[in-house]
Amino acid sequence: MLGALLYLRLTSLKNQLISRAKRLRQLKYLLGALVGGAYIYFLFFRNFGGASGSRGAARTAATQTLAALPSSEALTQTLPLIAAVSALLLLGIVMLAWVIPSTTPGLRFTEAETAFLFPAPISRRTLIHCKLLSSQFSILFTSLFFTLISNRWTFLGGNALTHAFGWWFVLSTLNLHFTGAALTLSRLVESGVSPLRRRLTVLGGLAVVVGLTVAWVWRDLRAPDAEDFAGVAPFTAYLLGLLDHGVLGALLVPFKFVVGPFLAPDTRTFLFSLAPALLVMVAHYSWVLRMETSFEEASLAAAEKRSATLASVREGKSVFASARTHARPGPFYLGSSGRPELAFLWKNLLSTATYFNLRVLATAAAIILVGSKWFLSGTTPDIRAARVVVGMISLTAGAYVLLLGPHLARQDLRGDMPHADILKTYPLRGWELLLGQILTPVAILTGLTWLCLLGAALTLQPTGRMALLLTPSGQWAIALGIAALTPFVCALQLLILNGATIIFPAWFHSLRAAGPGGGIELMGQRLIFVFGQFIVILTALLPASLTALALIFATQWLIGATAAIALATLVVLVVLAGEVWCALWWLGERFDRLDVSSELRP
Amino acid sequence: MIEVSGLTKRYGGFTAVRDLSLAVQPGEVLGLVGPNGAGKTSTLRCLAGIIPATAGNVRIAGHDISTDPVAAKRALAFFPDEPRLFDYLTIRQHLNFVARIYGVADHEAIAGPLLEELEIADKADQLPGELSRGMKQKLAIACGLLHSPSVMFFDEPLTGLDPLGIRRMKDSILKRAREGAAVVLSSHLLHLLQEVCSHVLILKKGEKIAHGTLSEISAQFANGESGVSLEEIFIRATGGSEH
Repeated sequence: MLGALLYLRLTSLKNQLISRAKRLRQLKYLLGALVGGAYIYFLFFRNFGGASGSRGAARTAATQTLAALPSSEALTQTLPLIAAVSALLLLGIVMLAWVIPSTTPGLRFTEAETAFLFPAPISRRTLIHCKLLSSQFSILFTSLFFTLISNRWTFLGGNALTHAFGWWFVLSTLNLHFTGAALTLSRLVESGVSPLRRRLTVLGGLAVVVGLTVAWVWRDLRAPDAEDFAGVAPFTAYLLGLLDHGVLGALLVPFKFVVGPFLAPDTRTFLFSLAPALLVMVAHYSWVLRMETSFEEASLAAAEKRSATLASVREGKSVFASARTHARPGPFYLGSSGRPELAFLWKNLLSTATYFNLRVLATAAAIILVGSKWFLSGTTPDIRAARVVVGMISLTAGAYVLLLGPHLARQDLRGDMPHADILKTYPLRGWELLLGQILTPVAILTGLTWLCLLGAALTLQPTGRMALLLTPSGQWAIALGIAALTPFVCALQLLILNGATIIFPAWFHSLRAAGPGGGIELMGQRLIFVFGQFIVILTALLPASLTALALIFATQWLIGATAAIALATLVVLVVLAGEVWCALWWLGERFDRLDVSSELRP
Repeated sequence: MIEVSGLTKRYGGFTAVRDLSLAVQPGEVLGLVGPNGAGKTSTLRCLAGIIPATAGNVRIAGHDISTDPVAAKRALAFFPDEPRLFDYLTIRQHLNFVARIYGVADHEAIAGPLLEELEIADKADQLPGELSRGMKQKLAIACGLLHSPSVMFFDEPLTGLDPLGIRRMKDSILKRAREGAAVVLSSHLLHLLQEVCSHVLILKKGEKIAHGTLSEISAQFANGESGVSLEEIFIRATGGSEH
């Protein structure tokens, strides 16, 4: 049986590699592979292989940093602390497996595996072995990938091989633990233990550990004081004392065994750390094999759910998109007559989170107004400094929303492309459909940007020379100008992103069909897309920006800075509106001519 | 009502539909049949304006689908084999959305009886995720019928329906044809053609093999024999293979 599974995995892997190699004959995949390969090389492999080049520089820098630490034993103190913190992290991950599942999680099989393996004449134990063996393929790949990343952490010592084995130990043990936990949870449900009771028990146990640790600190250690925070060495020493002793210390021992091989600074330590790590792994394996319980039903349900989620992701939706099962009323009244574009706004708003509505926007604006009023009334240096921090955070958040938001808010044509054949039967011009599709993300991103702008405008007050240049009215003119331009900048960016799906539908389809992963060539395609979009938006904004600067420079002497800013805003508004209209019209024409059947073939 | 002349659809070097001409009058139901890959879906998609034809003309209710697509699409409805629904819209909200797109005045007065006819009125506030495959198909049909199209295209309309649903779907198609709609449907189910279609068009490798009423097609391929089944006629017409 295991031979058959091995055959399935190896043959699938071989066929996948062959099909990927074959598709490199298509330009989009070849370009993607070249760009993705170059990215991977520069990110990981350039630093691989010995202490030469930048890796050597990094190691030197790390050594210098450690040498600069107050204690000469910084390295020997830091690594045990890393081990303890890693163990604590593993403990947290393990706890999640016992707390999060609402019912029986089942074992993770694909739909095809459930279809072929569950009716096959094989024992439950063999099925578990199939599952474990199957997981090893992804664990080996993940270990390799993590090694590429962790090989840059030169301060850890060790080498690529010890890191790879280390990751394998950590991931395999976690996988065994999750399998054992899933089987145990199934058995608990069979014995009538409710999820609530189970969660309360686990969290109660955690509370006991925390309580005992606090009691131990109170009695045997001491509460941290200012000296413990005076430097890295005393802080490390205090934390180590906390994590290495008492109940928590005892609880973390097996987790430290698991991370031991990865954190071994040299080969000798690595070899010594193997036995305890193997002991933990064998104990887990023995636990999993002893759990004779039915998991098939839960696994079938989980496989179907995963399949639906994957299909949802491939349709360009969020990972959580398939989770919603409750209907909700429309965001506003949609009559039978009127502009059809509003129907798309209405429809796409229904697909967003419930808090994207005018009431929440108004409430948030009111909170910002009240909060900033309190801020403005404070005159102490602390409040003034906090005001600047809040203002800068608001400004940065606004910039992020404006620049990255269009990539994340996908309630537009990108999400509706799987329905392209139905959309094309609607009696609408391409530009009408496209305009309707981008209205929702434009509305959401504009609202969010306005909130950030409001926060920044109310809290940031220019000082020094800037105060002379920028009067309060000038400052408000800039804020209002940006606010007026925001919907157009959002629309322009969204048109570029949506336009990419219309102009390069085959690229878009291959990225979507691949789901969240997809290999180096698809990663390269994504990079090309992002870079291309960046160039296009810069090109689109350049004429407007240059016009604005020229106008402000030329007119501020005559009409004053505030009026010059207002005039520039008006002109930029016209330029951007013109660009948006041209893009809508051109992309609409392209959509009308789009051949969904040939272009969207994988 | 539907006039097609010289319709050709090519995908690169592959010709899916070659020089197809046909006409469907109000009240007629044309069944498109043929082996897998014969070009049935490509033909339907070209007729519905979903994909552009490489050559030829398609007129829907007097409007050229390539030069006046909005007017042509206002008169037609396309029903894909797999219902394409929006995950976050209930049945009622789907109809609301479609009503706005097509500008259907007083759509609630039309939607109510339609949902009753399709037996999904009691599910009006449910999301597609809560509906069975057959219910989803019915919702897609309700959306298509809301604007009272005079031309309808069905791609494998009986897929996923239970026996009662199949019966109702046949009745529904015939009812619309009797009311004056021109209907084109593609199907592998020959009994559907026998019961519903007034005309049949057999396609093979994108080319028209035969076109006419059922009796005309039977006469063409029966070779003088009597009582030859439609299945036998189909096999004779297509040569018994996809190639």
